Amino acid sequence: MNGYAGKILRINLSTRERSTLDTKDYEQWGGGHGIGSAIFFDLVKDKSIDGFDPANVVTIMTSPLTGTMALGASARTELQGIGVQSYPIGWFTRSGLGGRFGVMLKLAGWDGVAIEGKADQPVWIDIRDGDVQIRDCNELTLWGKDTWESQKAIWNYVAGSGHYGTWYNPRSGSDARTTQQPAVLCIGPAGENLCRVASIIHDAGNASGQGGFGGVWGSKNLKAISVIGTGNIAVAHPKALFEARIWAIENFTFPLNTFDASKAMWATMPSNLRSFPSPLVTWERPKQSRPQACMGCQAGCRSRYNPPLGNDSSCKESYYYSPSQLKVPPSGETPDPQKQAADLAQKYGINVAELETGILYLRDLYKMGVLGQGKQIDCDLPFDKLGGNEFIEQLMEMIAYRKGIGDDMAEGFTRAAERWGRLDEDQKTGLLNNCYWGLGMHYDPRGSLEWGYGSILGDRDINEHGFSPLAMIPTLTSEKPVSAEDFVKIFSEKMPPFEDDPLMLDYSDGNMYSEHMCKLVAWHRHYSRFWIQSALFCDFQYPDFFNWAAKDYKGITGEGEPKFYHAVTGKNLSFAESIELGRKIWTLDNAIWTLQGRHRDMVQFADYIYDKLNTVKFVMPVNENGQWVYNPVGGRLIDRAQFEEFKTRYYTLEGWDTESGWPKRSTLEALGLKSVADELESKEKLGKE
Amino acid sequence: MDDKTERKKTERAGLAISRREFLKYSGIVVIGVGFGGCGNPNGVAASKGYLLVDTKKCQGCQTCMLACSLVHEGFESLSLARIQIVQNPFNTFPDDINIAQCRQCVAPACLAACPVGALHVDKFHGNVRTVNKRKCIGCKSCITACPFAPARPIWNFQEVYAQKCDLCASSVFWNEQGGPGGKQACVTVCPMKAIQFTAEIPVQLGDEGYNVNLRDKTWGLLGYTTE
Repeated sequence: MNGYAGKILRINLSTRERSTLDTKDYEQWGGGHGIGSAIFFDLVKDKSIDGFDPANVVTIMTSPLTGTMALGASARTELQGIGVQSYPIGWFTRSGLGGRFGVMLKLAGWDGVAIEGKADQPVWIDIRDGDVQIRDCNELTLWGKDTWESQKAIWNYVAGSGHYGTWYNPRSGSDARTTQQPAVLCIGPAGENLCRVASIIHDAGNASGQGGFGGVWGSKNLKAISVIGTGNIAVAHPKALFEARIWAIENFTFPLNTFDASKAMWATMPSNLRSFPSPLVTWERPKQSRPQACMGCQAGCRSRYNPPLGNDSSCKESYYYSPSQLKVPPSGETPDPQKQAADLAQKYGINVAELETGILYLRDLYKMGVLGQGKQIDCDLPFDKLGGNEFIEQLMEMIAYRKGIGDDMAEGFTRAAERWGRLDEDQKTGLLNNCYWGLGMHYDPRGSLEWGYGSILGDRDINEHGFSPLAMIPTLTSEKPVSAEDFVKIFSEKMPPFEDDPLMLDYSDGNMYSEHMCKLVAWHRHYSRFWIQSALFCDFQYPDFFNWAAKDYKGITGEGEPKFYHAVTGKNLSFAESIELGRKIWTLDNAIWTLQGRHRDMVQFADYIYDKLNTVKFVMPVNENGQWVYNPVGGRLIDRAQFEEFKTRYYTLEGWDTESGWPKRSTLEALGLKSVADELESKEKLGKE
Repeated sequence: MDDKTERKKTERAGLAISRREFLKYSGIVVIGVGFGGCGNPNGVAASKGYLLVDTKKCQGCQTCMLACSLVHEGFESLSLARIQIVQNPFNTFPDDINIAQCRQCVAPACLAACPVGALHVDKFHGNVRTVNKRKCIGCKSCITACPFAPARPIWNFQEVYAQKCDLCASSVFWNEQGGPGGKQACVTVCPMKAIQFTAEIPVQLGDEGYNVNLRDKTWGLLGYTTE
């Protein structure tokens, strides 16, 4: 398949053996996540192992579109394996990141990497085109360094006598040359100390956070993977690829030179093909800065600054320690603690999604008199300095090095609450705002149904913004651009095979558990599994349903993704076929979760989602007596009994056993997954017909 | 200053060229300025097109590099891209990004160094400086002679010849007419409009003629410096 180099690097850290997998054997999965799941399924014989088990396999996959001009699909890299963060079980999970690592990997001739085993001492992997070396960390004293210092040390080592910004030969004895630094994935002290909340960092601010893969790497004694590539990425139809990009820019984005403040907000929101570079940061952005983008992206979502604080950080990194989030007055300190906190998270390699709810939890426990110096949960964090540098520096150090109650927090705040004997109570009240699989709430399941259901039916906070505009646009516009009926239609007509059922987009109280809602959730899972996580289109830009720059507001989704896929790979994959392929990948993932021990009885939100009304309301399209209108939605909870009915309907739609939630043989075989059915049957985990 | 000290100084300065390189470069361009648009003493006609960049406006996406290799080679490559973006995410703005585009020098040292006339002025394409790969013997003299870092002529180590920016005159994998009279892929795709074509000869002395301010009022509205 064009777009791919044809081979995947397999490394056994225990034996230090390097071998290759033939990409062609996995081509049917289309790329990225699909291939990662299939490799995991093949290589991990006992899927019930713990994430810290050396037999756990971590895959790092690119897409055929990685490193090409496919708009919004050039830069993402997909990591998978058994995670250690979710609760009560570290599910087989995923976490993607942007930047340029995947591009370099492909230019080096590798479509992905599969890591297994555990090194006998800390190592890093040095990939220079086809030359792959497993190097001990001692020479560069990498173990113990933060992620930024580690990357710089590796850069200097790889450059040898050359230096970046000029041409140098990364491989001795070869004339192959580049001006670029290697792309490095790296863990910090948090990963080294097996924190379940440890992330993997690349460059200044690209992070694979969810799942705790930083800790998994630490358990494997794997500090970093560095790759420099000087090769090529084959494109089936170069002219068509170039034209597709120009077509996408001209028809689905606002021209940069016609900036209109009234449109700018929409042109930079997720999910909408982005028009303008607009860093998603909550701190004040100095004029002495630039937007910064992942490889091939048309609208950078982060920045670089003078002074260089907060470089490449965005979104959650920028607000998890903001005064507005913490509800404290600005500290007025220099350096700005908000930016300092972002940099510390990147350097230590700690997942800010965990800190976002975790710090508020600590604050509330402190206010309750439960946590603090000499209290039931004894710690000397300076809460009078919350929002300042001293507090966040101490907290980060405690977690990364497992100091004091940092040893509990390093397990994630759900496990920390369990250690403190507070989990049941704090999940009933919602004091601990971790609602799905012990992970922090991102979008509220009681309002954003597709987000909540998708997360609890899967393995993690899905972090997929595809349907967020359904709430954001009507809520934030005083004059609606189109009627509620037309608004819904713009979405639904791009959702095969359910395009004839717009009721799936009805978020009203009466439709929360319906068969229609099942279709929305299923479609979202299937679309994302293929286009976002396998073809690796950026979630901040795709799916693009309602587009303010497009004719009749009809976004690029449905037409754009297959166009780019065809131009690069040469494959004629229809949009409907791609959704079906996504279903296949989603079902394979469910088979893996089943083998890990999942049962439908476990698929439950935290208690407070069932017992407490949410307070936020969004204006959304709802269907009242056959008429579409915009109405406030929210101020509700998930009903336990009706959620069970929803699960039954959902499992039926997916062809999974309604009693257990396990995939059925008939479904698996129809998807071409007979071997998966056989393995499930051998473990007595096959769903009943 | 020895080479080691010189290199260390350059590395400390991030991506800036060294003092020695600057002096080498300045000497060349003074000759060029002296002969303005009329060419150099060897009778080389000035190019009818140049690329200007704004390093403060660049977002580091390297789409220009992907486009360049795609339209010229038919595949994606960073090593064979005739424009190079080099960045360091840990550096301070604006020293975190450097754009290295061919300057189509008025007095091209690369052309003067070519022993076989492979690197030549293409009078059919607006006098752009380009390489006839059939003539190229792979001696790399042009690359060594280029006074800039990184060298603007590119060593195509895969096919063993030199190549360089021709303003897309030979962009055979593109449906547009390239060259000084046509379009350039990097200019066309740059999302920030941080690369611009001009037919006017830039000031040859120093970097200011080629690294210019392309930030307009829109850029200011987006919250970035226009100065």
